[in-house]
Amino acid sequence: MSRMVDWIDRRFPLSHFINKELTGYPTPRNLSSWWNFGFLAGFVLLLQVLSGIFLAMHYKPDAQLALGSVEHIMREVNYGWLIRYMHSTGGSAFFAIIYIHMARSLYYACYHKPRELMWWSGQVLLLMLMATAFMGYLLPWGQMSYWGAQVITNLFRATPFFGDQIVVWLRGGFTIGDDTLSRFFVLHYLFPFLIMGMVFIHLIALHYVKSSNPTGIELAKNEQITFHPYFTIKDLYGLGLFLIIYCYFVFFNPDFFIEANNNIPANPLKTPSHIEPEWYFLPFYAILRSIPDLLGGVIAMSLSVMIFAALPFLDRCKIPGGARYRPVYRTLFYLFMVDILVLGYVGAQPPNGVLMQVGQAATFIYFLLFSLLPFISRKEEKWLLAKGLPPAVLAFMEEEAARESGRKKS
Amino acid sequence: MIHRLCILTLLTMSTLCAASETQLRPLEINHRADILQRGAETIAGVCMSCHDLKYLHYRDLLSIGLSQKAVDSYRGELSLEAPLLSSMSADQRKAMFGLVPPDLSMMARAREGGARYIYTLLTSFHTTEAGGVDNSLFPGIKMPDILSYSSAEDPEAIRKTAREAAIFLDWAADPHADERHTLGYYVLAYLGVLTLLLYLLKCRIWQRLDAPDSKSA
Repeated sequence: MSRMVDWIDRRFPLSHFINKELTGYPTPRNLSSWWNFGFLAGFVLLLQVLSGIFLAMHYKPDAQLALGSVEHIMREVNYGWLIRYMHSTGGSAFFAIIYIHMARSLYYACYHKPRELMWWSGQVLLLMLMATAFMGYLLPWGQMSYWGAQVITNLFRATPFFGDQIVVWLRGGFTIGDDTLSRFFVLHYLFPFLIMGMVFIHLIALHYVKSSNPTGIELAKNEQITFHPYFTIKDLYGLGLFLIIYCYFVFFNPDFFIEANNNIPANPLKTPSHIEPEWYFLPFYAILRSIPDLLGGVIAMSLSVMIFAALPFLDRCKIPGGARYRPVYRTLFYLFMVDILVLGYVGAQPPNGVLMQVGQAATFIYFLLFSLLPFISRKEEKWLLAKGLPPAVLAFMEEEAARESGRKKS
Repeated sequence: MIHRLCILTLLTMSTLCAASETQLRPLEINHRADILQRGAETIAGVCMSCHDLKYLHYRDLLSIGLSQKAVDSYRGELSLEAPLLSSMSADQRKAMFGLVPPDLSMMARAREGGARYIYTLLTSFHTTEAGGVDNSLFPGIKMPDILSYSSAEDPEAIRKTAREAAIFLDWAADPHADERHTLGYYVLAYLGVLTLLLYLLKCRIWQRLDAPDSKSA
């Protein structure tokens, strides 16, 4: 065995790689369970790719055959029901994990130096995941698939000058039809591989800047432990917990994530009384609907997704650890969480009087929180410095400031 | 625990939007062979005059314990592999009702409330003041009161027939549901034990850190 490894090591940096990225990779000892979700997201990505490949073997991207082929998978393919439900539940699991992963980074302000590129590659991953999920939802060709795609592609009509052409280009025709289905299928199959590439970039950045940790302070050497075996086993334990929840839904409640309406074959002539996206799009959908103007709504919705990328600039407080040492930031974080839940609830309801106003208020608060952050974070830094911070935090900040001024001099 | 709460909070949001099912009659769903068989009889003998169940094949009926003879009598000249289609052509049915009656093979998954919706629909027919028949769950429905619920002398007998038909459709919409549940218990039990072992192993490995001079990487 060791001779074989030697043989490989002379030709390929196998042991070097394993040592550098696993057995010798330094990881902060104080990572909480919130740091498990990156690994879980990677796992679910693989699960979705694998189950998706098997589904694609039996699925037919044809408007006449799509729904029937899904039923064929569910009824006749050996364990096809399991593969299909793993995939449909996996989509929701993916978003749940990613949103928790993002909330973790938000809470601890992990987007700060030197992890801006990790944050931005994560933002790109979020957009790719959303596109993939949206296109995948068309494939069963049920009523919600059809009308959801109709509504969302229609938003691009708001593009100045080229609106109509872009909509036709996206759909491959004037309405959602057979051509839309085949192109969405092809792209839904392609995107996960692009996502994998982006994940790779995300990981290269991670292994260069190393993991953040709940204190936000770079830990001393003796507070670092190796990734393997400490975090491999911790991640596996987290995976076990995740799989229990996931398998509960796959085996006992898979229809929880599938709108009853989507088991009705797509009918271009019959608009459902209430069109509603999957739960993971609801907050953004509520923002879209709360602006009465189409273009304004589309801009607000895109901004609400993209605004996360601006956080490294918006949060101007230099105190590390995010909400851990910053009571005001912590309050803003929880306000934001509540606001998103309210938006999600509003997004699921038919638009009517009072809820419409609640949605508009929540949309306003959503953007208000982001736009006030630069001022609040500045003020909070001054206030906390005057009030006093733990010595380790102050030492870290001084070190950072010294490094910064040193760079300026040189 | 916190992860679970978080995920569940996100999940409950989407249940909040489910249509209210309060007006639906309660229905205990039990895929017992005799119930499914009697339900199949109603579906094949009554509902299939107008409705298809195209994702079901005659051979599938054998799996709920219907005798070969019974299945033969339903399929007539058709092969066991043939889908369950109404004997009337789509055009004839369209001429009769103004639309082709919907396929029933996925009906229990295609309505909020599932089988309860179907059961309630079948038993919501009533005579109107004008002397006609209407449905209180779906006013103006094109489907006739096929089980004659509105004029029944013994409504409980009709309700029983409707319950069994609804339970059959519940099975038909997801024939692997029972297999899925059985397998699910094994999977969850396995994962429970596995996760416990992983947890213990995790504690054991992390204990090494408490030993002196073993902290550094």
